[in-house]
Amino acid sequence: MTDTQRPDRRQGSEVEPSSEFTVVAGEWQDLPDAVEDDLMVINMGPQHPSTHGVLRMKLTLDGETVVSNEPIVGYLHTGIEKNTEYRPWVQGVTFVTRMDYLAPLHNELAYCLAVEKILGITDEVPERAQALRVILTELNRVSSHLVWIATGGMELGSTTAMIFGFRERESILDILEYVSGLRMNHAFIRPGGLAQDVPDEFDARVRQVCSEMRDRIGEIEDLLTENPIWVERNKGVGVMDAETCLSYGVTGPPLRSAGIAQDLRKSQPYCGFEQYDFDVPITDTADAYGRYLIRIQEIYESLRIVEQALDRLPGGPVMVEDQKIAWPAQLALGPDGIGNANSYISRIMGQSMEALIHHFKLVTEGFTAPAGQVYQAIESPRGELGYHVTSNGTNKPYRVKVRDPSFVHIGALPAFSKGLGVADIIVAVASVDPVMGGVDR
Amino acid sequence: MSDGTERDVVGQEVEERDITDVDQPGEEAGQFRKGGPGSANPNMAGGEASRLRERTRPERPLSEELAALRDHIVAAFGEGEGGLAVDAFRGELTLLVGPERLHELVVFCRDDPDVRCEMLADLSAVHWPGGKRVEKAAETTGWPTYEVEDVGRIEVDGILRSITHNHWLRVRTTVPDDDRAVLPTLTDVYATANFFEREVYDMFGVAFTDHPNLTRILMPEEWEGHPHRKDYPLGGVDVQYKGGVIPPPDQRSY
Repeated sequence: MTDTQRPDRRQGSEVEPSSEFTVVAGEWQDLPDAVEDDLMVINMGPQHPSTHGVLRMKLTLDGETVVSNEPIVGYLHTGIEKNTEYRPWVQGVTFVTRMDYLAPLHNELAYCLAVEKILGITDEVPERAQALRVILTELNRVSSHLVWIATGGMELGSTTAMIFGFRERESILDILEYVSGLRMNHAFIRPGGLAQDVPDEFDARVRQVCSEMRDRIGEIEDLLTENPIWVERNKGVGVMDAETCLSYGVTGPPLRSAGIAQDLRKSQPYCGFEQYDFDVPITDTADAYGRYLIRIQEIYESLRIVEQALDRLPGGPVMVEDQKIAWPAQLALGPDGIGNANSYISRIMGQSMEALIHHFKLVTEGFTAPAGQVYQAIESPRGELGYHVTSNGTNKPYRVKVRDPSFVHIGALPAFSKGLGVADIIVAVASVDPVMGGVDR
Repeated sequence: MSDGTERDVVGQEVEERDITDVDQPGEEAGQFRKGGPGSANPNMAGGEASRLRERTRPERPLSEELAALRDHIVAAFGEGEGGLAVDAFRGELTLLVGPERLHELVVFCRDDPDVRCEMLADLSAVHWPGGKRVEKAAETTGWPTYEVEDVGRIEVDGILRSITHNHWLRVRTTVPDDDRAVLPTLTDVYATANFFEREVYDMFGVAFTDHPNLTRILMPEEWEGHPHRKDYPLGGVDVQYKGGVIPPPDQRSY
């Protein structure tokens, strides 16, 4: 606005202020009422560094106290569910891994388990593939919890926790990169097994990281567990008792912090979790501090599971035997990177026309799945991650609905932010560890 | 793509069946879930009846606990007209109920001591569009063909989970996909239903009566249409590479 256009208030009378200062936005219509009640409506987000991405909260405040909190989501909606309906079953993996980007392997695993359930091949997946899935997802759980410690600490001003968390997480991501080639969005778990077997030094490297991780988590515990500021800020904040949790469908660490030892790895085991010896940590405080303690303990339990799985890791294939489902590739490292092995290419190109046709059909069209609907839930770092997959008998999913724990937990925000201060809202939101990629999908 | 999908796998003898025999919609009473060939979205490749062959795998029966649960609930609500229909697929229990008794059934599942589903774990929907389609009496030419007018439907599935008894079941109800797509809200039974129902409303246009705040949740408020309906296009642009053009995913023939 130039000076000539600026209304001159000192002279006053000629200017029509209404055209200049009227704010038009539907959601602010309630504002005059709120002012009369001596309440204040403020908008937190979506561009706020401590709302975990693009979460927006419409807070109604009485002074500093939150009277109501209306979470508004959808800023990261990318239509992943819709997209999967137009790609063959196998390609769905590359989509779903991008939803909850801190736990990509859990997304892949839940999707693949659901597809395997529809195909009816759950029992045919080789044991080695199942054990490796356990190892990878548990490592992923550790890295996800570490990010939570890092960002949660950061939001309270503890930059040391942030540096520690992201530093330790990097060692896990190094392993995942070593195995799949990518730090995140691996697309490594496939319907029927894994994309390929793990490299030779996998065992040694994972064991080394596990042993180092224990010391490093110890450092984080030393830093935070009895830190007066951390305790003050977290204890008694974001309290949600068991009944409220259940009514709001809250699962994972928030539910366990309320004293209910619900863990799908124990109650409805998948991938052979019943073979491993691990505990489900709970607390009875139902607050943010309890959730912190639980996540720390879960890291130790995950490391226990990983080591047990390594000890008993069986040999054999990592993909189902059924040639109509298994991806028809035998990967090998060539001079220009990973690709199909030379022997395999010479076979399909030079020896067997049927093998070439089969390869072509399976790669372009993919397998078909019988018509029906299944629901498969696994325990992701944030809670129950469910895939509700419908097939109409074709080579593409008819519908993939993801029950993301973050979405449900954001829905429960009004329940556990009432009565808190504005600064505590940050802690309360962080304590349920929402990932907006999963919320909006 | 839809014809000639009879596949041979090298060196593998498998037991084969023709799945078009078993998946024709409306063959069995109460099986109004299965779309199967013929009712699929025209954009979905392979949606037409085609001779797809695959290895048969034995159907996993319901576990004893779920079978007992099924009998318990069916005993309370009755089966058939005005009551429940039961479906089992891959060891999962599905109760099909009309919209008018949905609320009653969900309250029963929450409050009954033997069912005691404390959580609404998920609520989602699937759209099966209507419209004209051609139904052939037989694939051989010369037999009569019929034009069938279908009413589209939206299936709404709720997953009820009991932590006490460690079981879960699916409750499914079906509504037409026109302006009669109305269901009673479950927000008074489970607080989770608030967000779930807003998502179903946003994506499918199913209205939930008495919902406290039925607004769009993922899409902008002024958005038109309901993106997860099958008649809503995916959208996209051509992919061009070295002179070749690949259409967007929803316009490809494969």
